[in-house]
Amino acid sequence: MADKPTFRDEIAGLLHATMGNPLDMCMQCGTCSGTCPVAGAGFMDNSPRRIIAMINADLKQRVLASNTYWYCASCYHCTVRCPRGIDITELMYGLKRYAIWNKQSKEGLIGPVFSETFVKMIVRTGRSYEPVLATSYLFTLGVPEMLREAQTATSLMLKGRLPLLPARIKRLDNFKRVLKRIIPLGEPEE
Amino acid sequence: MKKYAYFPGCSLEKMAQSYHNSAIETLRRLDVELEELEDWNCCGATAYFHVDELLAYTLSARNLAMAEKQKLDVVAPCSGCYKNMFFTRAHLQHEPALADHINFALEADDLKFNGTSAVRHLIEVFVQDIGLDAVKAKVTQSLKGLRVAPYYGCQILRPRKDHEDVEQPRFFEDLMAAIGATPVDFPLKLRCCGGALIITNRKAALSLVRNLLQSAAAAKADVIATACPLCQVNLECYQKLVNQEFGTQFNLPVLYFTQLIGLAFGLPPKQLGIGTELVSAEPVVCHARSNPS
Amino acid sequence: MSKRIGVYICHCGTNIAGMVDVKAVAEYAATLPGVVLGRDYKYMCSDPGQEWIKEDIKDQKLDRVVVAACSPLLHERTFRTAAARGGLNQYYVQMVNIREHDAWVHTDKASATEKAKDLIRAAVYRVALHKPLEKKEVPIKPGVLIVGAGIAGIHAALTLANAGKKVYLVEREPTIGGHMAKFDKTFPTLDCAACILTPKMTSVKNHPNITMWTYSDVTKVDGFVGNYKVTVRRNPRYVIENLCVGCSECINACVYKEGKFPDEFNLGLGKRKPVYLPFPQATPLVALIDPDTCIQLKTGKCKKTCIEACGDRKAIDFEQEAEIKEIEVGTIILATGFKIFDSKRIPYYGYGTYPGVYTALEVERLVNASGPTSGELVMRNGQKPKSVAIVHCVGSRDENTNKYCSRVCCMYSLKLAHLVKERTGAEVYNFYIDMRTPGKGFEEFYSKVAGEGVHMIRGKVADIYPESPGNGSARLVVQAEDTLLNMIRKVPVDMVVLGVGLEAQADANDVRRLFNISCSNDGWFLERHPKLAPVNTFTDGIFIAGCCQGPKDIPDTVAQAGAAAAEALALIDAGSIELEPNTAYIVDTECSGCKTCIPMCPYTAISRNDEKKIAVINEALCKGCGTCVAACPSGAIKQNLFEDEEIFEEINGVLAHV
Repeated sequence: MADKPTFRDEIAGLLHATMGNPLDMCMQCGTCSGTCPVAGAGFMDNSPRRIIAMINADLKQRVLASNTYWYCASCYHCTVRCPRGIDITELMYGLKRYAIWNKQSKEGLIGPVFSETFVKMIVRTGRSYEPVLATSYLFTLGVPEMLREAQTATSLMLKGRLPLLPARIKRLDNFKRVLKRIIPLGEPEE
Repeated sequence: MKKYAYFPGCSLEKMAQSYHNSAIETLRRLDVELEELEDWNCCGATAYFHVDELLAYTLSARNLAMAEKQKLDVVAPCSGCYKNMFFTRAHLQHEPALADHINFALEADDLKFNGTSAVRHLIEVFVQDIGLDAVKAKVTQSLKGLRVAPYYGCQILRPRKDHEDVEQPRFFEDLMAAIGATPVDFPLKLRCCGGALIITNRKAALSLVRNLLQSAAAAKADVIATACPLCQVNLECYQKLVNQEFGTQFNLPVLYFTQLIGLAFGLPPKQLGIGTELVSAEPVVCHARSNPS
Repeated sequence: MSKRIGVYICHCGTNIAGMVDVKAVAEYAATLPGVVLGRDYKYMCSDPGQEWIKEDIKDQKLDRVVVAACSPLLHERTFRTAAARGGLNQYYVQMVNIREHDAWVHTDKASATEKAKDLIRAAVYRVALHKPLEKKEVPIKPGVLIVGAGIAGIHAALTLANAGKKVYLVEREPTIGGHMAKFDKTFPTLDCAACILTPKMTSVKNHPNITMWTYSDVTKVDGFVGNYKVTVRRNPRYVIENLCVGCSECINACVYKEGKFPDEFNLGLGKRKPVYLPFPQATPLVALIDPDTCIQLKTGKCKKTCIEACGDRKAIDFEQEAEIKEIEVGTIILATGFKIFDSKRIPYYGYGTYPGVYTALEVERLVNASGPTSGELVMRNGQKPKSVAIVHCVGSRDENTNKYCSRVCCMYSLKLAHLVKERTGAEVYNFYIDMRTPGKGFEEFYSKVAGEGVHMIRGKVADIYPESPGNGSARLVVQAEDTLLNMIRKVPVDMVVLGVGLEAQADANDVRRLFNISCSNDGWFLERHPKLAPVNTFTDGIFIAGCCQGPKDIPDTVAQAGAAAAEALALIDAGSIELEPNTAYIVDTECSGCKTCIPMCPYTAISRNDEKKIAVINEALCKGCGTCVAACPSGAIKQNLFEDEEIFEEINGVLAHV
């Protein structure tokens, strides 16, 4: 009987497609956080370095209560500068996946619902379509912000830059079958 | 006549149609043909990777497999699409078990990934495959004195592919110089525009965009050149919002590098999609017009 | 003639006897052809065990001995010596490993015992064919060559010279002293570097046993331990060394009224004229002229006011040429030191882009009284800084540049923090990942510096950028996450000091090839054993000392220099060295002169006799690796102790049961 994996093991296993990420080798130097444009502007509650420290200490709940990875912009600047060769951006992707699968994210974040909406849309049509995505965040904005967004959208529409109809790939059925062979997404829940 | 399989990406249909048009037109002038990948699907952007890595790889693998059927290398104008496809190919080549798993899925669409099609970014094609000399030779309209801030953004160079220089690249500046413009020193040229954060954390994205605009303005740039639709939208379409949020007064045109090349080639602005910006690019067009060849 | 072979099986306590039936094996051994006795004993390597061998040789008139025990690496010498004491040629002994190769890798006693029998039988067949080889004695010439005259080279030279040995000290730069001559104060005592170094430099210059050749390069090294022939090229200074008194009149009189060219000793922070002295305490205090900038040497058309000023001393000679010197020495010590990490490899630290960013070595020159600013900490913009950031780990502990820790940077960064604060009263911020202060007095030094109000921020610097872009007089912002405070800090400072790491010299690989030693992955010279032989190399007679072996501070450098000197002394005083005879040799009549073997030898022991048109092996250089023996297409090369017949008989012995 295998031992139940620790939180640290689970995170390490999440990154299976990318090379084994040496989270254990983190020396907590803070280069990632110092480089991160979002952390540097004060928008993350825990810096990327702190997240790694918490993972290595098996502090699962504190990590899942964090907004850090949902605010990662995937700029990969931390990854190219990390002196221990850790791919921090991929770690952030891994944490997002973990949070979605465990249906556990900090309250009030747009990221999780946006990502799920995006994926459902691709599964349905094979292409992305902005107006559908807008529904995932529009109603979290306050009224003045919603109005401003509507203004921007209108300007874009007048310039012919907003798609009016969703695109769709031709071999959609095959496409859905391809995806189902990986994970049966888009199936009605039992 | 060089030929590539063309992967426009979802943005280039409408939001970044000007990028699409200017790319096709300028490449035609340079004897390069883009054959659109038949029935391409979305590359997954960043959001797909938030849900499942394997599924996300499958999306890119399908596109790559189709390019392989055409026996052509893939060229992507969008940095995000480029990064996804490049690294999908690299990972699948490196891990045959992963490739097998995905190929099992691709069978349902009669496709197989072998890794034989390389993935290029559109700007690479200009700089490396076509070469700066060939680009320079087709310039008919001088952009002399046009101060361009070349905005590389993130995913063109990062993550590292080999041991290339990710901290001090010069190829974008060299390309702008080749078409006669004046590339300015833009210290934040490798910094993030916020990407998808414009949706998921608008305040953060706007503050990043503001820094970029400030840096370009301080360098007295006339226009910011980009190589990615998401960067262009963030920098340009939300400029008004940045001004409202921070009390700034930015009015900086942001164009795709292919549009600038098109202007230098003497192509009509409308053909290059100029005029669809929220921040008018008239000053740039005027500059090009006022400089006869 | 039938042999009289004695076979001894060791129990090795239970290491062997626990798995191998030693009694049965001994009985079996006695039945083998040529074997007159088969004995087993608990510990063959013990005194009684060795005595037995010695006695048996006499009493039983043995002419061959086989010992089946542990690894030859441990006790081959023991048993060979025991046999020699019994009057038998030591190469008539063959050792069989039935411990590591048999008992320790078996779980089944029957198979282990069978294997032991096979191995011993093989040894018995082989040893019958052994020849009476003799060790070769090679004399050690008494002279020593020391390459590099930093503190390591200087200390080794003085130690050896004081012991009465002749030393050639060769230094590439125009002055001895190395990096230490550039420092101001040294940690942790804040000793003045020049004060403790210059007396040693003077001793070197005046020592009757030391020949000091500066501005010189080693160009060729031939030979082997005890007998090295080295060619040294003395580069032309265009000043005659023993006529120049270092008065500097020529420098004052030079047609260049002011220094115009970057001053190498001051790392480009100051300017010098084409004729110059490296620094005021240079040893030898002899001027030199730079052929790339001197008008006379470039164009031939100069007033030559320098010659005029030199007057009767007539020390300047524009016709001077390089001098080639050939010396013979017995041992060589390499003390070629290090270079600092090139900060341009980390562009986001702004070195070379922003004038306010300096390397630590440049700051050493700034705070040094004989430096370009006379010890005043004045920056390139002419001002003294009010706030200084010192960045640790620049280029070190980083997968992207150098993986290793450079060992001295934390200490020198703390030292510079102290000196900067002392000279300017500025606010000083040290940005570090870990504070590494392990030596004697080091932790106390750390406390002292912290107590002086230096801010210690635990976080690797992620970015350095101007405070207000586009503004020429901007301060620089140093950005790092303060990992203890859990906060991103953006500290504006006037000056940034980069704590650069140490690296092997740029030409370390070329130098190591010249001397036939190895480098490790990091580029440092490779020691024979990291713990037990840190100053020896894999080439006999060549030793390494100081930073060329790896980054270290001055106390450790001096210790290694003393150690290398002692190793050299041991060889010299022994007078000669014995070389193992298991060398390869060429059967002249069979050699076709095809030259296949020559490039194969890793020890460059094979050369060509152009007269006879055959290859020749230098026994002293040969290490018996066997590569040439296998490579020779004519089969003309054979190896002592590994002759074809010996090996084939050993194979026959192993397979005899099949």
